[in-house]
Amino acid sequence: MTVSVETRRSRVTVYAKSTAPSLTPVKPGKTHEFTALDHSMSRHSVHLVCYYRQEPTVTMTALKESLCDVLSYYPAMTGRLVKNEGDGCGEWMVKCNDAGVRMVDARADTTLDEFLASATDEEERQLAYWEDVGSDPYLWSPYCIQFTDFKDGSMAVGISCTHFHADPTCVAVFARAWSETHRRALVTCPPFFHPWAFYPRKNPVPSSPHLSEKSTIPPPLHPPAMSSVTFAFSASSVRQCLADLQLSNLSPFDALASLLWLRISSYKSASLGTAQLTLAVDCRRRMSAPLPLGFYGNALHFFGVKADLSSGWIHIASELNRHVSGIKEDDVWSSVEWLHERSKEKAFQMYGPELTCLAWDNVPVYNAEFSPGAIPVHVGCRIGNAQGEGLVVIMAGAPGEGEEARTVIVTLPTDLTAQIYRDEAILKYGPKIMFSPNI
Amino acid sequence: MANEPLPPFSSSVRLKYVKLGYQYLVNHILTFILIPIIVGISIELARVGPDEILSLLRFLNDLDLIYVMSTLFLVIIVGTVYFMSRPRPVYLVDYACFRPKPNFRVPFSTFLEHARLVPQFDERTVRFQVKILERSGLGEETCLPPANHYIPPTCSMAAARSEAELVIFSAIDELLNKTGMRPKNIDILIVNCSLFSPTPSLSAMIVNKYKLRSNILSFNLSGMGCSAGLISLDLARDLLQAHGNSNALVVSTEIITPNYYLGKERAMLLPNCLFRMGAAAVLLSNCRRERSRAKYRLTHVVRTHKGADDAAYRCVFQEQDSEGLTGINLSKDLMAIAGDALKSNITTMGPLVLPASEQLLFLFSLIARKVFKAKWKPYIPDFRLAFEHFCIHAGGRAVIDELQKNLQLSDQHVEASRMALHRFGNTSSSSLWYELNYIESKGRMKKGDRVWMIGFGSGFKCNSAVWKCLKTIKTPVDGPWSTSIHRYPVDVPAVVKVL
Repeated sequence: MTVSVETRRSRVTVYAKSTAPSLTPVKPGKTHEFTALDHSMSRHSVHLVCYYRQEPTVTMTALKESLCDVLSYYPAMTGRLVKNEGDGCGEWMVKCNDAGVRMVDARADTTLDEFLASATDEEERQLAYWEDVGSDPYLWSPYCIQFTDFKDGSMAVGISCTHFHADPTCVAVFARAWSETHRRALVTCPPFFHPWAFYPRKNPVPSSPHLSEKSTIPPPLHPPAMSSVTFAFSASSVRQCLADLQLSNLSPFDALASLLWLRISSYKSASLGTAQLTLAVDCRRRMSAPLPLGFYGNALHFFGVKADLSSGWIHIASELNRHVSGIKEDDVWSSVEWLHERSKEKAFQMYGPELTCLAWDNVPVYNAEFSPGAIPVHVGCRIGNAQGEGLVVIMAGAPGEGEEARTVIVTLPTDLTAQIYRDEAILKYGPKIMFSPNI
Repeated sequence: MANEPLPPFSSSVRLKYVKLGYQYLVNHILTFILIPIIVGISIELARVGPDEILSLLRFLNDLDLIYVMSTLFLVIIVGTVYFMSRPRPVYLVDYACFRPKPNFRVPFSTFLEHARLVPQFDERTVRFQVKILERSGLGEETCLPPANHYIPPTCSMAAARSEAELVIFSAIDELLNKTGMRPKNIDILIVNCSLFSPTPSLSAMIVNKYKLRSNILSFNLSGMGCSAGLISLDLARDLLQAHGNSNALVVSTEIITPNYYLGKERAMLLPNCLFRMGAAAVLLSNCRRERSRAKYRLTHVVRTHKGADDAAYRCVFQEQDSEGLTGINLSKDLMAIAGDALKSNITTMGPLVLPASEQLLFLFSLIARKVFKAKWKPYIPDFRLAFEHFCIHAGGRAVIDELQKNLQLSDQHVEASRMALHRFGNTSSSSLWYELNYIESKGRMKKGDRVWMIGFGSGFKCNSAVWKCLKTIKTPVDGPWSTSIHRYPVDVPAVVKVL
């Protein structure tokens, strides 16, 4: 049976591309090296989109000026990739040659509210312009910032970058630093460039059974077409979830991640058994010498969680809770050292191809206020190149919705996505569905 | 000695003192003649007693009233005719330069990345631009207008107009703020911009924005190249002679947006690499009450046009290349022609500004070479005796080097030009004002100092203006150099490896 899909024409048009330099010239000869963690993420990209209501100081011109200002603090962002000749990690390093970041101007033929209510997954993807590295990496900007003007004067700012420059936390902290520079306020989390943060310990114990297993999985021959849907859970929906789980020590992440894991798996195969979920957790604060929030680079720890899906939702949730709270610093170091050992080899896919979940709700993302008091109306985050069984990103929800509010972005093969956003068990909690696929 | 070339004076200490003595003698000849006369008269008076002086006075009293009155009236008439026929003084009340915002900055790496990403340039063209940029003498803080930051550059007329509004209005706003001049008091408006000439003109744009008077005398000079700033000054000076008690606003700029060359002809790619955004607004006046706050007085303007010579006429030529793209073709003998134009200019300028000592030496050398056919090198007058400061148009590193060699200037004399080229690039006709501001910002401008501004431009023209400083300029100076003067002078290497 063929399903004919009528695709609506996208309302987002990109009309110009330019480059933003930093305000102060970079001292010649500066370089930025990648850590083993950075190198391991080289196949992916991060896309963060923030939506703002109309404000007199939030215009494309003013934002471009403050972008140039904040770039003075981030010489690594304005640099270009060159081959790593030394014995650093990975194939590439950044030569801080002051070339600037790419900027893209776009407009959307609709108002912000209408867009948030009716935009498709494809349209949201178009708010964060991204070009893969072409034939000459030296001419390619690893960052791309898109400004989209809506009909009512609202603006969407889309920040895209390669995952091996920055993880989602780093991009969110950059957005916050940019907004503080725009308001002429003090930058609370200035960038911390410290590629030696993840150098192996004196007595390394490189071991990561989970990652070794991942590295041996061959890339899929025909990666399925993926599409996403966003569920915005309000605080009351999350509280209802937790109430249904009846366990007192569970966090909103445990509840939502386990619910989605269960529901996605039930669509993939009729019978449920033991399954594994890959979790990615930000480990800046979990190190005994905690890294500052402004640490520039990747600090995501990937590990596997096994659970018997047939035992029910409560069991899965408690398993997740046990694993996440039980992450030992030694495990983090072991997997870093394992990655460091194979840093000269080609990186493999980290988000997928098996079902992966990014636990990102402990990082504040709604604090990029370009105008005092004007927080983003919505923030979305996507990961590029996460093909396979799927990716679930759980991030903090809009502060107006309550402290426990969460935004969950589910990326699955297209036919699964069509089913998941009509799933009764999830819809029972009344999440707002946004950016569904164009069906 | 007659058959040898003049020995180099500077290398010999004793001869240096001889030269100094000669200069003092010739330049102060009147003083030297007057002193013995005064001494003689005093001795005579001392010898002759007071009675003789009193008898002289009584003689004067006996003269008829008519003789006394006629003498008095004669003196008054002569004096009046003399004062009325003197040219009106032209004062520079103040000037302001456009300060580019650093987010318009074009680092070398960005410039070249864009050159590579724009499909119209091939590899050879890009490599040529790299070579030019490396040897250009520009720094990493020069600025291009917003349209040139796009890939590809959006060279529309609207973008050109908005660049014109940005640079011109910000310079004029700053000038009006500094001087407190009300726009309604401006009597003469002269704008020069060579490569962008819309209708209505840029001067009409200024009249519209600042609501200038309906009987304003406005002029718009276009197509006159990088020396047009001095041509505008000359025009303003002539108008201020014709109209008393007037204020003239002179705006010099070059609009880069419509002139980005997207072709493959190498001689036409130089302007892409060297020209940058800039503008200057200057307020001139011949009102006596402005004398107290004016910074400079314009003493001479000398214009030389070598257009009669075909090679000079074609050396900076705007034309279409084989693909139909318009660009400015710079010929290879540009430096030679510039040197030639300069020689003509200084031949006219010399007698106006040089002290008598240098003029006599030049005259002797000329007579010896032409009349007595002596094989002496032509004597190059030492212009450092005539001027304290030099502002040489920052057309490119080669132009500044050539002039330094020709005029035998030291590195400190050309420092203003080199540093303005490094910090702002070639801003065409306004570059002289950025250089003047550099000298002021460094605290080197003292009362009585004389400044020589030399501009070169297509045509081929060499124009000079001489200013005399009326009051010492105190630092810190609020101008385009405010944020960067402490970092200058920098040592600009001959070749900068592009990062």
